[in-house]
Amino acid sequence: MSKYYPIKINVNNNIYELKVKANETLTDVLRNKLHLTATKKSCGTGDCGSCTILIDGLAVCSCLVLAVTLKGKEITTLEGLNRNGKLHPIQKAFLEQGAVQCGFCTPGMIMSVMGLLGKIKDRIPTEEEIKETIKGNLCRCTGYKKIIEAVKSIF
Amino acid sequence: MNSNNFNVIGKGVVRVDGLAKVTGKCKYLDDITLPGMLYSKILRSPHAHAKILRIDVSQAEKIPGVRAIITEKDIPNIKFSFNQNLADKLALCKDKVRYVGDEVAAIAADSLEIAEFALDKIQVEYEVLEAVYDPEEAVKSDCPVLLHDEKENNIAFEFHNEYGNVKEGFEQSDYIFEDQFITSRPAHCCLELRGCIAYFDDFERLCVWTPAQSAHTLKKELSIIMGLDENDIHVINTLAGGSFGSRLVMDMKEPIAAWLSKKTGRPVKIVNTREEEFATAKHRYPWVIKLKTGVTKEGKILARHINIILDNGAYCDKGSNTISYSYIFFTSLYNVPNMKNDAYLVYTNKAMSTAFRGFGNPQIHFSVESQNDLIAKKLQMDPIEFRLKNIVRNGDITCSGIRISNCGLEDCIKTAAEKISWKSKKSKSGLEYRKICGNKRKGIGIAIMIHSGAGTRYYGYNSTETFIKVSKTGLVNVITPVPEIGQGSMTVVAQIVAEVLGITVDDINIQNQDTDIIPYDLGAFGSRTTFICGNAAKLAAEDTKKELIKVAAKYFDTEENNIVFENGIVYSINNSDKKIKFKELTKYSYEKLGYPIAGRGKYYDEVATKIGLIGNYELASPENSYGCQIVELEVDLETGEVRVINVVAVVDSGKTINPITASGQIEGSVIQGLGYALTEHVIYGPKGEILNPNFMDYKILRSTDIPSMEVYFVEAGSLLGPFGAKGVGELGLVPTAAAVANALYDATGLKFTKLPITREEVLKKCGVLS
Repeated sequence: MSKYYPIKINVNNNIYELKVKANETLTDVLRNKLHLTATKKSCGTGDCGSCTILIDGLAVCSCLVLAVTLKGKEITTLEGLNRNGKLHPIQKAFLEQGAVQCGFCTPGMIMSVMGLLGKIKDRIPTEEEIKETIKGNLCRCTGYKKIIEAVKSIF
Repeated sequence: MNSNNFNVIGKGVVRVDGLAKVTGKCKYLDDITLPGMLYSKILRSPHAHAKILRIDVSQAEKIPGVRAIITEKDIPNIKFSFNQNLADKLALCKDKVRYVGDEVAAIAADSLEIAEFALDKIQVEYEVLEAVYDPEEAVKSDCPVLLHDEKENNIAFEFHNEYGNVKEGFEQSDYIFEDQFITSRPAHCCLELRGCIAYFDDFERLCVWTPAQSAHTLKKELSIIMGLDENDIHVINTLAGGSFGSRLVMDMKEPIAAWLSKKTGRPVKIVNTREEEFATAKHRYPWVIKLKTGVTKEGKILARHINIILDNGAYCDKGSNTISYSYIFFTSLYNVPNMKNDAYLVYTNKAMSTAFRGFGNPQIHFSVESQNDLIAKKLQMDPIEFRLKNIVRNGDITCSGIRISNCGLEDCIKTAAEKISWKSKKSKSGLEYRKICGNKRKGIGIAIMIHSGAGTRYYGYNSTETFIKVSKTGLVNVITPVPEIGQGSMTVVAQIVAEVLGITVDDINIQNQDTDIIPYDLGAFGSRTTFICGNAAKLAAEDTKKELIKVAAKYFDTEENNIVFENGIVYSINNSDKKIKFKELTKYSYEKLGYPIAGRGKYYDEVATKIGLIGNYELASPENSYGCQIVELEVDLETGEVRVINVVAVVDSGKTINPITASGQIEGSVIQGLGYALTEHVIYGPKGEILNPNFMDYKILRSTDIPSMEVYFVEAGSLLGPFGAKGVGELGLVPTAAAVANALYDATGLKFTKLPITREEVLKKCGVLS
């Protein structure tokens, strides 16, 4: 029904050449075109954080980003963390500290924490920083306590 | 076996579905695409109450890519409700719509985009009718609005019951308290949007994929509304992204997808938008409660009469069950000889409500536990002292005939008081503790609770089974009906089986999805799965172990009672030097003895057949769980902000199978409970439209809003539960709102009786806002 635009993007170190519509969000492109379904869709308005991914290292709600604007960008989704079958320390911490219940917020939650890790480099974040980092990620199951503990545990 | 000897039970084992979740590999419903699948959208009513005069789908049908459109003309004229004797809802409206969001028509198309586009082209002509939104108006005999023409009035269901004689009880009392409490309308807010995929398989059997809390019940419900033979349906229970009660009853999406699939011959997927989820995925029942209580001057409660008006919304769902279920616990938290309940479930032109974690108990506890602090104040008693004078203890028989056993309530209260230093903090209450710090006041509040710890028997059935088959290579396949809705039930079942067989959860594979395979069960509600499914799993594991012992006795050439299973190793006690790995024993069995290994466990609750919906409460639940919460908070009288500082939650849910998942259940539900207390409420506008159908305007707590939380388990035990366990899933939010209101009472001397206690409410009560 509408026009398609060519884009070339790097997702999890794979190059994709795609044709997208002007109104297609990155969430829909990841999920429907690249079959990367770890990125979740829950509100579609940037209020819940379930679709959080990294664009050039920054944590962003992919439902608020139009895919057509992403030419040449580097995108990382949860699927990009454990290549070679090895868990990233943050995934391991979520698993061991009980930071996962239904698991639906987990991909976005972990990607927000990845954004923090990229930002602070080797510095240990404060509890307030951790809380601020995941403030945009709603979790209806855990009450956040074990998620915050999981993030603390990796330092 | 004492608890120190457990290898797997009581350990914080990593959850068995965890790896798939942290890697994002697990598939939720909307992550699944079936070959040839169509996408569906539902046309919903924009009016709260209107006659349907005409539906014209001709323009929509012409749009390329539209494969089918259905209206009420295409479906059987069968009404449905969770209690079929209250059936009042068609899957697609016929003559009338009764709330904003009511289903009118549905489209299946090649893409979601086409379906959405075509939806706008369906023309519906309505005659708008007067609507009623306030249940206290709707219940009146002269209410001009009648939602269901075939009914005499707007009362969908009423419930009346009395134990003892409340009139006499009030006459014998020194003080009578009469208070009104109003509870709110929270939404479940599962992060996974509700959805389903339906198709007819090669044998023309309907298959529905959806994250159900009760897959077998859904199968029955589909057969009713579609007029199909139940044997021609099966449900694949997909992993749920949160449930909290919202996925216990069929959503009309499931039959609608099925009919569209029938018409097109292709799989059909329907998934809500977030706005649809708020508007149509149902809410917690809002209650208006009038509570009358009589006490002696020594502080003994003699009589309690609760009068409830529940806002049913436009159609019946779980309201009648919510009333009768929560009344069990109204009668069994305290020893009160005379109790009465008059409850009315009233139709309004709003969304339906349904089960929501706690199932009426948060409402009951908000009123009872709030009023208890008013009583304690009047009697000049400490709130804990007043409660200890009246709570149930082991051996008590309540007015409703329930014999209290395995009750750790008193321990919960005493532990909570000790952990938070209640005496020193509360004794500084009043002016000293509320030291003025600008406009801020501090307060501390307590509330206690009871909830079913093993489901309830009043569906006339409370049994289930589990099957285990052990492969030659030692994989233990556990075929269990336990639904995984995030609560960790698969892990609990795996731990129970692993403990019995002396293996680890890594050796276990859980099969819990297809109703054609899993045993019959009622599902995940009433904090029942650990107890019910756990018991069946334990029996199945023990049955399997008997088989394995036979094999091992042959292998070691010894008596069967000499065999020990431990840490994946099997040996005979009279020669512990000679050992065989579990996996080698199973190989030996298949290859050398030609002997297959399987087991079956049947948890049979015969008593359930003896209980009806009303009455026989003495048999209501095999076990109850208990708890106590104390909340410390600070309130700013100038801004109305309530900042919860600390919550101590103490729980008696019997033996804790997994301390990580169990404390996770309590922490998560405490935070839901704080949302219930302070922020969460679906707000309706003047035309019956929801004003806050998104996470910006409907406020669930975020990471920066949470207080410090301490969770303790007193483990009073259970004679009947697997390894002494009882249910834990719902306990955390049952007392929370009352504890918050009581802490605010302590801080300000003002009693907040309406939920949620928003900043606006605080400011109104403090006189800052008129």
